[in-house]
Amino acid sequence: MLSMRFTITTLVALVLKSFIEKERGRGKSTLNSSGCVSNIQFWHNFRNAYNMVLHKFGEKLYSGLVSTMTSHLKEISKSIEAAQGDSFLEELNRKWNDHNKALQMIRDILMYMDRTYIPSTHKTPVHELGLNLWRDNIIHSSKIQTRLLNTLLELVHRERTGEVIDRGLMRNIIKMLMDLGSLVYQEDFEKPFLEVSAEFYKVESQEFIECCDCGEYLKKAEKRLNEEIERVTHYLDAKSEVKITNVVEKEMIANHMLSLVHMENSGLVNMLLDDKYEDLGRMYNLFRRVPNGLLTIREVMTSHLRETGKQLVTDPERLKDPVEFVQRLLDEKDKYDSIISLAFSNDKTFQNALNSSFEYFINLNARSPEFISLFVDDKLRKGLKGVSEEDVEVILDKVMMLFRYLQEKDVFEKYYKQHLAKRLLSGKTVSDDAERSLIVKLKTECGYQFTSKLEGMFTDMKTSQDTMQGFYASHPELGDGPTLVVQVLTTGSWPTQPNVTCNLPAEMSALCEKFRSYYLGTHTGRRLSWQTNMGTADVKATFGKGQKHELNVSTFQMCVLMLFNNADRLSYKEIEQATEIPASDLKRCLQSMACVKGKNVLRKEPMSKDIGEEDAFFVNDKFTSKFYKVKIGTVVAQKESEPEKQETRQRVEEDRKPQIEAAIVRIMKSRRVLDHNNIIAEVTKQLQSRFLANPTEIKKRIESLIERDFLERDTIDRKLYRYLA
Amino acid sequence: MRRSAARKTGQSNSTAPITSSATDLFRSASSKASSKEMERIDNLFYSYANRSSGLIDPEGIENLCSDMEVDHTDVRILMLAWKMKAEKQGYFTLEEWRRGLKALRADTVNKLKKALPELEKEVKRPSNFVDFYSYSFRYCLTEEKQKSIDIESICQLLDLVLGSHFRAQVDYFIEYLKIQNDYKVINMDQWMGFYHFCTEISFPDLSNYDPELAWPLILDNFVEWMQEKRT
Repeated sequence: MLSMRFTITTLVALVLKSFIEKERGRGKSTLNSSGCVSNIQFWHNFRNAYNMVLHKFGEKLYSGLVSTMTSHLKEISKSIEAAQGDSFLEELNRKWNDHNKALQMIRDILMYMDRTYIPSTHKTPVHELGLNLWRDNIIHSSKIQTRLLNTLLELVHRERTGEVIDRGLMRNIIKMLMDLGSLVYQEDFEKPFLEVSAEFYKVESQEFIECCDCGEYLKKAEKRLNEEIERVTHYLDAKSEVKITNVVEKEMIANHMLSLVHMENSGLVNMLLDDKYEDLGRMYNLFRRVPNGLLTIREVMTSHLRETGKQLVTDPERLKDPVEFVQRLLDEKDKYDSIISLAFSNDKTFQNALNSSFEYFINLNARSPEFISLFVDDKLRKGLKGVSEEDVEVILDKVMMLFRYLQEKDVFEKYYKQHLAKRLLSGKTVSDDAERSLIVKLKTECGYQFTSKLEGMFTDMKTSQDTMQGFYASHPELGDGPTLVVQVLTTGSWPTQPNVTCNLPAEMSALCEKFRSYYLGTHTGRRLSWQTNMGTADVKATFGKGQKHELNVSTFQMCVLMLFNNADRLSYKEIEQATEIPASDLKRCLQSMACVKGKNVLRKEPMSKDIGEEDAFFVNDKFTSKFYKVKIGTVVAQKESEPEKQETRQRVEEDRKPQIEAAIVRIMKSRRVLDHNNIIAEVTKQLQSRFLANPTEIKKRIESLIERDFLERDTIDRKLYRYLA
Repeated sequence: MRRSAARKTGQSNSTAPITSSATDLFRSASSKASSKEMERIDNLFYSYANRSSGLIDPEGIENLCSDMEVDHTDVRILMLAWKMKAEKQGYFTLEEWRRGLKALRADTVNKLKKALPELEKEVKRPSNFVDFYSYSFRYCLTEEKQKSIDIESICQLLDLVLGSHFRAQVDYFIEYLKIQNDYKVINMDQWMGFYHFCTEISFPDLSNYDPELAWPLILDNFVEWMQEKRT
């Protein structure tokens, strides 16, 4: 037995000893230069071990191994503890490397035991045993455990404060802990590391918040985050990355989210106002890492946008110029589109927030539909002059975007029709293609019905051209007289105009009659009525000193002017009697020719701005203008006056009634029986693309339909309506 | 006429029963009695009817009313018309007269008068009242194709028909109808709606009224007006 024990001890000690000797610099052993036992020795030991196990001395061998290694390690432990300062880690590292090499050899020598005795007795395999013993005797030794942890944390802290540390050494030590088992790594390093880091960043973030503005803070936070990721790559377990980044995210971002976003003079709103794409992008990237981060940004952006928008649309100054108003809306949309694409990586939820905000405030102003139409009118009259085709498309597409936000699309349609009519009739459209392009876009958006009448208007214009050609071709004798250009408008397609009386000058009325009989000759069964309030005329005039000018005027104005061919002086009453133009129109007409500087082709006595019944009018012989052609017409589309607005609104309301009824009938026809709330919901949904239907109005229409026996109420359940075929 | 009366009671004179059972006897006895009753009913009809038109006209009704000692604007006359299922206001046809008086088992003016309290009770029964209520509206549609009744008449009708049951609601509603401008006439749907309003909605607090439900719009407006009055 003694010899047996001796053999075991010698065996293990031999191996270990060689390492000690090596360390002490004395290379005298049976080991070769790489520290491996020479072959002979190895096989000798191996065979001994083999025999021991074979002869049932495995137990002794094993326990001998345990006790020998333990006591050896206790020695090692002392030498590590003795290391001073920085050399502590180095010593630990060195001894660890030695131990690993020894373990390898021991495992090889005791391989037979590892494969037979250990599995059958369920004992810990040699290598693992070696690691466990290292763990228990070195790492968890009372003098080493705390010191190790503190040293490691100290180094991390130093690195965080800017010092350079030995990363290789750190990596080795950390790897050692990982090799000892994930539990060791977590308990002896990772957990305390995370706690200490949290404390560190809590303090640091508090400092930063107090002294930095939002942009700077975010830069610092981003820097710290990147540092930690880099730290993990260099010397920590990869699995620690998400844990440490969570710590940084929580301490630096999540805990200060609201203070950052609302920081005075540098917070989110300021960044938005100043288009700080880089800062915004950084905020987006950082905040998306924390719960509700993006939600917070989105909410603040939305409420800011809604507030700004609301101010925009209710500011009385802005409302004075409709074109400016719409341009501002487009600019605002462009601004936020850029922000979302450049800083918020085209995040769809932000796009949606943008859209819903615009939809909210555009509809706060009931005149938005009118103004958008006026904007389009301005562009199609002159704004698009000289603009390339692609750019035209871009502008029209942007306008369509605003159009989509409107709840009362039918109001827009009404104004658009009015403005289009004026443009077509005065020939004042910059580009036919642009007009048609917009109509196509509206058709795509709203369906065929929306635009069929508009297209009818274009058709009428074209047809009229053909008609005029035919007229002059068949009346060649008229070639010398005044040129008549007639536009024949189909009543249903054009905005309804009240029929106004007006006595045309003799030459004109004769010509008009000729046209009428020509037209009715080829189109039997139709009725023509002259819309004298919508026409224009070019009148050649010679003034007192011989100055000749061509005046572009409205039909009314032409009638008034022609009177002066036969009289030098005419009173208001005489003019009124002769022309039979309604008073308000006549007054406006006279004002535009007598009271406006640069257009005063007439002279009025007295010279006041108002037209009195007794006023007298003369041709202004002293009239001058640097242009040969002078435009005095008043057919330009303008922002409506208050009474006109009321009238349009009323007409829109009236038009809605049959649409609501049609929707109700359509729905009831297919459903047969439906309850009240569902009808309201379905009708609203069907009409959504045109306007927001009022539930009270829908109820009224339902009752009207009941009265007219289209629907009936169910006798038992009065919430139900039934369709009566 | 007798022949037709007899035919109406279902016993034909021409065919004599081969076997006479008790029911047959009873039937023939009762048919004789009922044919007598019918005769009296018819006679009563003709005593009020207009010679040339063959109908009881407004004048005749007025006579009937004074005989019964009931005012001709009394609701019980309306109830009588309901019982008869009379179609035209102010007129009773023979068929309608027969229908009504037979159901009331009255063949004299006195019996008719005595039948009135019972008739009132019958009408007031919930199962009948809705029918009576809607009937009373239709009865007032005098013109062909008329679908609505003017506000003035409606107010009177409401008072007549619902006044005893729902005094408060009727009074307030009448007040509202007179001052509002949205509606100049009331249609059947609104008329019925008001009845359901009275039976379902707690008054005068109106706490369980929901304007988002299918109540006629005029009632939504009425409730709004009531609530404004209160503040």
